[in-house]
Amino acid sequence: MANSAKPISSPVPQEWYPTLAFFMLAVGLVATASFFIYEATVSKKNRSVLKELSTGAVASVFLGFGSLFLLLSAGVYV
Amino acid sequence: MDGRESGTNSSGQSTEFMSAWYAKRFLHPDVVAVRNSSISFPSSSRKERREDCSTREPSQQRWKEHAAAEVHGERPRERGVRCDFGIDGPYLRHGDVIITQQLPRLLINRGMCPLPAVTVVNSEIKIDLASSIVRAYVTLKVENIGSSDALEVVLAFSPTQAKSIALIRASTPEGKRKKKTYTPLAVNPTTLPDTPADAQLAFNPNALLEPFPAEISQSESQLVYYRDTAFMLSPYHIKEQTTHIKTPSKKIESYSREDPTNRVGTELRYGPYDDRPPYSFSPIIVHFENNNPFAVVEELTRVIEVSHWGSLQVTEHYKLAHAGARHKGVFSRLLVGPLHSGIFLATLPPRVHSVYYRDEIGNVSTSHLRSDQHKSELEIEPRYPLFGGWKASFVIGYGLPLHDFLFESPDGRRYLNFSFGCPLMETVVDHLTVKVVLPEGSKNPSASVPFPVKQKLETSFSYLDVVGRPTVVLEKENAVPEHNIFFQVSILRLQPSVDARGAAHVSGAFFLLFFSCVAYLHTDLSIRKS
Repeated sequence: MANSAKPISSPVPQEWYPTLAFFMLAVGLVATASFFIYEATVSKKNRSVLKELSTGAVASVFLGFGSLFLLLSAGVYV
Repeated sequence: MDGRESGTNSSGQSTEFMSAWYAKRFLHPDVVAVRNSSISFPSSSRKERREDCSTREPSQQRWKEHAAAEVHGERPRERGVRCDFGIDGPYLRHGDVIITQQLPRLLINRGMCPLPAVTVVNSEIKIDLASSIVRAYVTLKVENIGSSDALEVVLAFSPTQAKSIALIRASTPEGKRKKKTYTPLAVNPTTLPDTPADAQLAFNPNALLEPFPAEISQSESQLVYYRDTAFMLSPYHIKEQTTHIKTPSKKIESYSREDPTNRVGTELRYGPYDDRPPYSFSPIIVHFENNNPFAVVEELTRVIEVSHWGSLQVTEHYKLAHAGARHKGVFSRLLVGPLHSGIFLATLPPRVHSVYYRDEIGNVSTSHLRSDQHKSELEIEPRYPLFGGWKASFVIGYGLPLHDFLFESPDGRRYLNFSFGCPLMETVVDHLTVKVVLPEGSKNPSASVPFPVKQKLETSFSYLDVVGRPTVVLEKENAVPEHNIFFQVSILRLQPSVDARGAAHVSGAFFLLFFSCVAYLHTDLSIRKS
């Protein structure tokens, strides 16, 4: 087994965790800001639900992965 | 063994042996002890060798199970066949009586079990009492005098020994290299029925040392009893045997004599004795000084958390006790005597990081960590020195890189290799539990351990978990440092290793937040129509 087994390590290099966390969270927060700015500025009848939901989806994906990498870089290996 | 009933042994010794054998079954053990040996001080209890009760069972299968269990040092469950006694734990803290009531059954239940016709030509036993764990190395030279092949050699242990045995390893030296076998050691029959074969046996009767006096003050040194038999207990006739006992220091208070006995410095020699009938024994007691701290971990729980994001986190909860002579009198920090538990050394794997050592009060700062390429050493000192009967409990935790321990084989299964036992050196663990927490979504977890343990599966919950993580729980009683070897847990993982489920759950939660925002902003909650 020893010669055919290969060691498993993380799919993303561990040194990148803090950087990834920072950039993903930054993008996620920018998307969140854009979502709320859209809600605040555009009047009610001009709003498009599709645009709202897509901005929300993008923001939530980036925020989700960003918080995962934030936890990993803090040492909480989930 | 049948010679006992039918009296085929012609030596006068056999009569004494026979009556002693009966006597020890039905009378108080002290009677036999005083009669059979020349011990000058009162022996409070006698440790006798246990017959291998399994040889009396008619069925060979049952015997094999018992013998295999013996060899692995596990205590069999049935009390009907084993002669069992009331000692708890490896240390004879309570001292006395060993023989209990199951024994009369032995006398009745002696069926015609075929014992291989084997004699022991030479047996040499070396017992090392230098630390708090007793280690015995038995070298047997066995000869098959029967006409048929003998496939097994039966070893017999006394009740106390059998209960305290933690590990038995047997090997047959072949040529220059030793081959290890774990089940009843096979005598190599070859073509001639009387080929002598050597057998080497190492086992650790786990501390059959009793501190006597049982209570000492802080500055006294600790004296212990070691009880054993001068003649090796064996179901076979032994032609020649010697027993060597090595004590840690030259200070031996007393030892029983069974001539020829000789003492040279720290080594006692009993023997050589010639031509002993089967199941002969002669109890001996050695009373010597042993200032090793008898560190016993009463309970150890090791939790190993495997995360595919790159780290292995190990948390160990210890309940440590000093099981030597109990401390009496006052405790003074100025007068540190010879026997107190000092520093414990834990051997951890190399590349360990984030090591912490804390207890219920908080962090304990009396520790040092040194690492090199092959191992890391953690020296810890409890908050207070432990004297006899004192306890301490603490938690040690550390993190390790995953690639040192987790491997993937071509068939898709992933294997975790990790060490099983307690990393503290020269400590005995009464009850060891190892929990391996596997990542969510691992299927078919299975563990393989070189010695018998109790296994079960549980689910534990941790951060970002929905269905829970499968946990393999392995339990072992009476673990010694020789059990600190690698074991393996393997899992099947169908989807890619990245466990992005956690991130997906967090994203889902955020999206729910945005969605509810959108829903709120699109609903009209005003009372008046605008």
